[in-house]
Amino acid sequence: MLVPSVALAATVKGQVKGHNELINPVWEESARPDNNRYTWREPSPTVRSEFRRLFGLAPKELCIAGISAGKVEAPKVPILVTVGGGRTTPVTLVVAPGTRLRFRNNDPYKHRLYAVGENSLPPADMAMAAERDWTAPAVGTYELRDELAPSLRSWVIVKEGVASIGYPNRKGQFFLTLEPGEYKLEFFFAGKTIGELKGVSVGARDVDLTRDPIKVALPKEKDAPKGAEK
Amino acid sequence: MLLSRFWYLILALALGAAVGGLFLANTVYNRASTESMEQALSADTQVVSWYINDDARRRSSLLLKVCLDGTIRKELSKASSKDDKVPQDVRDKTRNALAKLVEEMPRDYKFSSLFAIDQLGRVIGQVGFDQAAGIENFDMGGYAIVADALHGWVRDDAWVLDDRIYLVVARPVEVDTAQMPAGAVVGLRIIDTSYAKQLSKRSGASVGFFAGGTVKAKAAPEGVDPTQLDTIVADIKNLANDENYKEKGKSQPKILMGDIGVIYSKIPGEAWDLGAGYVVGRSASVVKTPLDLVKLADDKEKKSQPWWIVGLVVLLSGGLGLLFSVLEHTRPLRTLKAEAEKLAKGEIDMLQVSKFRGLYRKIASDLNDGTDKVAAKGGVPRKAADLESVLGPIPAQPEMSAFSFPVGGEGPASQGKPASGPVRPPAPRDSGPRLPVQMPAPKPSPEDKPKMPAPKPEGPKMPAPRISEVKAPAPMMDDDMEAEDDDDATVVSAVPPEILEASATGAHAAVEEAGEISEWHNVFQEFVRTKKQCGEPTTGLTFEKFQNTLRKNRDQLISKTKCKRVKFTVYVKDGRAALKASPVRS
Repeated sequence: MLVPSVALAATVKGQVKGHNELINPVWEESARPDNNRYTWREPSPTVRSEFRRLFGLAPKELCIAGISAGKVEAPKVPILVTVGGGRTTPVTLVVAPGTRLRFRNNDPYKHRLYAVGENSLPPADMAMAAERDWTAPAVGTYELRDELAPSLRSWVIVKEGVASIGYPNRKGQFFLTLEPGEYKLEFFFAGKTIGELKGVSVGARDVDLTRDPIKVALPKEKDAPKGAEK
Repeated sequence: MLLSRFWYLILALALGAAVGGLFLANTVYNRASTESMEQALSADTQVVSWYINDDARRRSSLLLKVCLDGTIRKELSKASSKDDKVPQDVRDKTRNALAKLVEEMPRDYKFSSLFAIDQLGRVIGQVGFDQAAGIENFDMGGYAIVADALHGWVRDDAWVLDDRIYLVVARPVEVDTAQMPAGAVVGLRIIDTSYAKQLSKRSGASVGFFAGGTVKAKAAPEGVDPTQLDTIVADIKNLANDENYKEKGKSQPKILMGDIGVIYSKIPGEAWDLGAGYVVGRSASVVKTPLDLVKLADDKEKKSQPWWIVGLVVLLSGGLGLLFSVLEHTRPLRTLKAEAEKLAKGEIDMLQVSKFRGLYRKIASDLNDGTDKVAAKGGVPRKAADLESVLGPIPAQPEMSAFSFPVGGEGPASQGKPASGPVRPPAPRDSGPRLPVQMPAPKPSPEDKPKMPAPKPEGPKMPAPRISEVKAPAPMMDDDMEAEDDDDATVVSAVPPEILEASATGAHAAVEEAGEISEWHNVFQEFVRTKKQCGEPTTGLTFEKFQNTLRKNRDQLISKTKCKRVKFTVYVKDGRAALKASPVRS
């Protein structure tokens, strides 16, 4: 659904590692005591500390984009972004300029989505199952928020040459569908580019990159949340 | 009148002090009441905060049973293992297990809604949140509290969904300690009136919860009207400008509509940023006027006051006021009335000035003067004045008075011996027997009963002398004459018989000395001159009569004081000419 259809395309399979080191900034921020998001918060003693780190859910938050050197047309149909459960799905989205996004409220209560500092997407109520289309006006990174759900923070990255995007599963496995050509695989998390660019040459046959997992996590010392385990 | 006036001044000052004290008490009461209310509000706010925290912990403890439930653990584990569609039977079993567990929870801590969520954040089963029943792939994994629970944390939160406030707690559901939690259980408790009542009942505070600019639930302890909190609706919008509220999540105490104090607090959680919070309120027990203080007192307080002190103060104040009024107003007025009645009946022909004090004495004196003038116009002379009536009561035996003589039975009157000098008929007296003192003024005719030389009709304001009642003749003496040692005792008392006898037989021949006569003549001249200066009548006043009087007084004084001679000097007393006799021993 999220991957634009490509005729005569090949599949690029890949594997990322370190995705469980990507700390969700919203959750990490909420965990800070000075943000008044709880009256008490304590760890469950039977859960191992490595799991208590608030890493993001890669299938929704780690966006892998195949970037072409040439110009790519925006898809004809809008990309659906559901709003619900305190976040959008996906959380981070990379699109080509002119790509239309369709937000749909999947919650039984209303949302008021808006783009931070962007007049083209002002706050507006979205009732249950309501939809709202928006096209990012230019290349850049847009942060989306909801006036009625502080935990909702999403990012739309508009970038030239975005030919295809995909999301890994919880194990880090992913695949992209690309037309033959030269591409660079870029990884986006919380509105930022992470990891190293991975060049890939796509021909008529599928490409398997799983033998060489791509490290996406930021260095631990920079990415580790302060107070995430408080 | 002086005491009464001072008393009125004291009463006025006391009244002013009482009124000022009441206003001061009003202000002090309002300030103390406001401070007390603010402290109570802060305490209430803290209590509510503790209650919410404690309530969340209790509820999280209740979730333990859910997290340890075998069905929940098993089904969540199954759901989490599938990235794609979750089998329906997993959802059904999870929902049924949740429903059963919710029913077993204590009523006071029962959740409004309960969710079982897998590792991907999908809601596998829920009860109590019917609005989400038809939504496929209902997801809650984006909420921080859910993410926390899925990562092994236990915590609380507060959500605002469609302007309704929910208190949320979440726990991880663990299956294998070597792996991430299989899911999480999230419990929601909507804040409604029943919750507010429960909170108010246990905390004793009047509390209201607000979101979206309106009060969502409110409750107050028994006896307190919770509708008072409705007044905050108009004030909620002002919270945007309250720096304390924005930064610290708690406003300063505020008084709304003049009669209710409130403190606003944010609810920790996502609600913190969504303008949701709670407000505690208390009646600001302020009074507008001092009289309102009385209304605040209940019967028990009113009965417990030391009313006997109040009564005593009232009695003493009233008693003193009445006493002063009687002493300074009623009594002299009655005396004046009695004297006036006597005057009207003819029992006296003048008011006895000595019975009056202050202004009444002046009034009596003026009345006497007026009487004199009227009498003079009618040609009726007034009786000689009693010195006592002019100068007040004369001591029976003043030790230092040159003109003090034994009174009563020892006097010549009691012995029936005639006194030297002219004998005057007795005048009515209202006091004990006193020797008459008569003015040596000339009388217009020998037939005049008082034997007192009457003043001229045009006489000035000199109180006329009068004859006091006596039982025997007594030596005459000028009522204007005083001894040097006592200004008020110009004279006079009973004269010892031996002195009178000696005087009659001419034993004191020394008075015949020419020098003394000459001196008396000078005194006479000065006396006449002084009387004229004082506007007193001098008609009929002759030196012969004058010297007779002086002689008698001289003899009495010599006999009394054993002095060699007596010196007479003229002076003015109360606007009248008077004589003072001074014994000379050398």
